Amino acid sequence: MIGFDLLELTDTQQMIVESTRAVVPGDGSLDRVRGLRFAAPGFDRAMMAVVAENGWPLLRVAESDGGLGLGVTEWCTLMRVLGAALVPEPVLSTVLAGALLGAALPDTVLAGETVLVTAWQDRDNGLDWTGGACAEGLTGAKRHVPGVAGADLFAVVTGQGLAVVPRDAGGLTIAQAETLDGGASGTLSFDATPAAFLPLPDVPALLDEATLAQSAYLLGISERALQITLDYLKVREQFGKPIGSFQALQHRATEMTVQLDLLRAAIFATARRIDAGASALQRMRDVSRCKRRAADLALHVAGEAVQMHGAMGITDEADIGLFVRKAMVEANILGSARVHRARFVSLLEEAAA
Amino acid sequence: MTATIDYNALSDDAFRAMVREFVETRYPEGVPRFAQHRVHWDEVKPWYFVQSAKGWICPTWPQEFGGMGLNAAKHLILIEEYERFGCARVNDIGPVMLGPLLIRHGTPEQQAHYLPRILSGQDVWAQGYSEPGAGSDLAAVRCSAERVGDEWVINGQKTWCTLGMDANWIFILARTDKSVKKQAGISFLLVPMDAPGVTVRPIRNLEMLEEFAEVFLDDVRVPADHIVGPVNGGWTVAKALLGHERVFIGAPRLSASALSRLKAMAQRTGAWDDPVFRDTYAGLQCDLHDLADLFETYVERLKTGAPIGADVASLKIFQSELYQRIAGVMMEVTGEESGHSHPFPGDSRQHAAGAWLAARPTTIFGGSTEIMRNMLAKAVLGLPG
Ligand SMILES: Cc1cc2nc3c(=O)[nH]c(=O)nc-3n(C[C@H](O)[C@H](O)[C@H](O)COP(=O)(O)OP(=O)(O)OC[C@H]3O[C@@H](n4cnc5c(N)ncnc54)[C@H](O)[C@@H]3O)c2cc1C
Repeated sequence: MIGFDLLELTDTQQMIVESTRAVVPGDGSLDRVRGLRFAAPGFDRAMMAVVAENGWPLLRVAESDGGLGLGVTEWCTLMRVLGAALVPEPVLSTVLAGALLGAALPDTVLAGETVLVTAWQDRDNGLDWTGGACAEGLTGAKRHVPGVAGADLFAVVTGQGLAVVPRDAGGLTIAQAETLDGGASGTLSFDATPAAFLPLPDVPALLDEATLAQSAYLLGISERALQITLDYLKVREQFGKPIGSFQALQHRATEMTVQLDLLRAAIFATARRIDAGASALQRMRDVSRCKRRAADLALHVAGEAVQMHGAMGITDEADIGLFVRKAMVEANILGSARVHRARFVSLLEEAAA
Repeated sequence: MTATIDYNALSDDAFRAMVREFVETRYPEGVPRFAQHRVHWDEVKPWYFVQSAKGWICPTWPQEFGGMGLNAAKHLILIEEYERFGCARVNDIGPVMLGPLLIRHGTPEQQAHYLPRILSGQDVWAQGYSEPGAGSDLAAVRCSAERVGDEWVINGQKTWCTLGMDANWIFILARTDKSVKKQAGISFLLVPMDAPGVTVRPIRNLEMLEEFAEVFLDDVRVPADHIVGPVNGGWTVAKALLGHERVFIGAPRLSASALSRLKAMAQRTGAWDDPVFRDTYAGLQCDLHDLADLFETYVERLKTGAPIGADVASLKIFQSELYQRIAGVMMEVTGEESGHSHPFPGDSRQHAAGAWLAARPTTIFGGSTEIMRNMLAKAVLGLPG
């Protein structure tokens, strides 16, 4: 469905791709995705049981803690495939929760009985995560929590530690907003919500990994959107020939390809460096670089895809629209291009130090 | 409507004040203002009827046909004041497209029949040019009209008809001769939507709104006199339409409105205090001013009656792409919120996603950016091919 030919897949990556078969239809059909839109919770909870069966919540949990002990490379491989298929389940957030909690990951999540997502973000369009703890437990707000309408448990990240709270926890109110892809994201507001704090792992590192995985999800979306557009350029005829024969469109299609080649290389090189133990500084710079390009490119490809489809691209009926609206939702998750350019700037001088 | 007024003789300021007073006192309660999408006939018709009663629904038509007889400069003032107040756009294909076309190419009988019905709002028109197989290559239309006795029998499909579901009439380009060069075998026909064999199916757009429709014509019969211009002369009739609308499509107001909304978003989110954002914003502001200057040169030409050449494509290309670039910055500035279906509470003007999506069609309809660039390359630059 998408060309992995430019990348050599390792055995574990190959295994990950295989494991998506139960979630991603082999024929590329988007019927399931389309059918889940605009009806709560915006994804299929039963599919989260398949996710659990596949062991994905344990993907970034160390083998010594009973996890799969796989790397960021595998996480990115997974997210790229899920992006290309527009999988709406909050897999990334669940994998992140697993990575954060390790051995403390609740059994019900592993059994596929409950859905667990991560609540880390303190403010809009920002990367701060340390807020939220008070003497009584949890306070304040955690924003832009994905899959919020169908989650049973939240892994709440604060400067004082991690807390796993159920959706009916005392003092927790949830405000949901419908997203363009037909799902929902939400803000959790805590008012002295009781919480037992677990010790903090290396949160900045794990959030960076999640950001890279998000970039890979965007890569998958963009790659498939380009593929669908290329298919259209070959079959749509005007002036007696396929519109793909017009060089004005050919050059713009190739520009997208150039950009995607860069993004793909950057993401997987970054993943390999992180897996090999990159320094925090290197990791932050690399991740911000990837997320910046992934976000910009997702919207660029979305715009070009619409344009090249003509009026057909303005319809909800055409599948390309699903990619456009998904890209608009996902581009700014875990930091917009603007946020990551700013972070990159803040790290420029540190390179010398 | 009482005695006709020579609006063009008024000073610009006096005319502007007159328009302002009109919208401020007469804009109907309940009709949306500053709508970020097209408003359907049911909701917008009170505003149509108010303009109609005032004699202002067809600003560009000559007064002898019931219009205001405005020159381009005065028309622009009218548009500016309507936009300033946030007036909803009415179903304007009759006033803007069909009316001027009938005034130029229609028979006196057609003018006497159809024009008053547009003026009163009795008829709401849709434009049926495009087909599934004929978009940029409009001359490829396949919908056919065959002369049988004293009727045309029409078969085919039209699509992307803006507000087609609101219309009771549609004008179409139909193939009336298959044996000649594409452009030479097309006729311009008028079809009532309630004729047997006409089926309308709304199409949901990327904003999840039903703003355009496809229209199926299955053995639809209309009287022989429902043709405008000569048989097989429809291409010339349709192409003659554009006039000064071409200039207005490149007016800076969409971008200007978008830029002011971007500023509001930046102030709300704090980006306004970021020098990096300011740099981006300054670039867009410069672009907008340059666009306004370019636009002025065309307004001057319209004022002096100088011809508008193919170079006007520059205006449309730059305006629509600037609008898209501004919307792109909105998406970044508003962060995660830009992925939400519904706007920032209470203010649809601060909905980045709405602007981003609404900016898409501007580079597709009215001649896509690519077709405009091809036109510039050939007609203006004289490049071969
Ligand atoms: C919101 C909206 C409202 C509309 N309302 C109406 C209406 O009321 N009535 C009506 O009749 N039509 C209407 N249209 C249709 C509009 O006129 C067509 O969309 C337009 O003519 C383009 O045709 P297409 O959509 O078939 O795209 P295509 O012609 O298939 O073009 C697809 C892509 O190929 C590009 N392309 C095509 N030819 C070339 C070339 N030679 N060189 C380089 N690139 C090329 C195009 O620019 C575009 O990017 C509307 C369209 C939209 C989006």
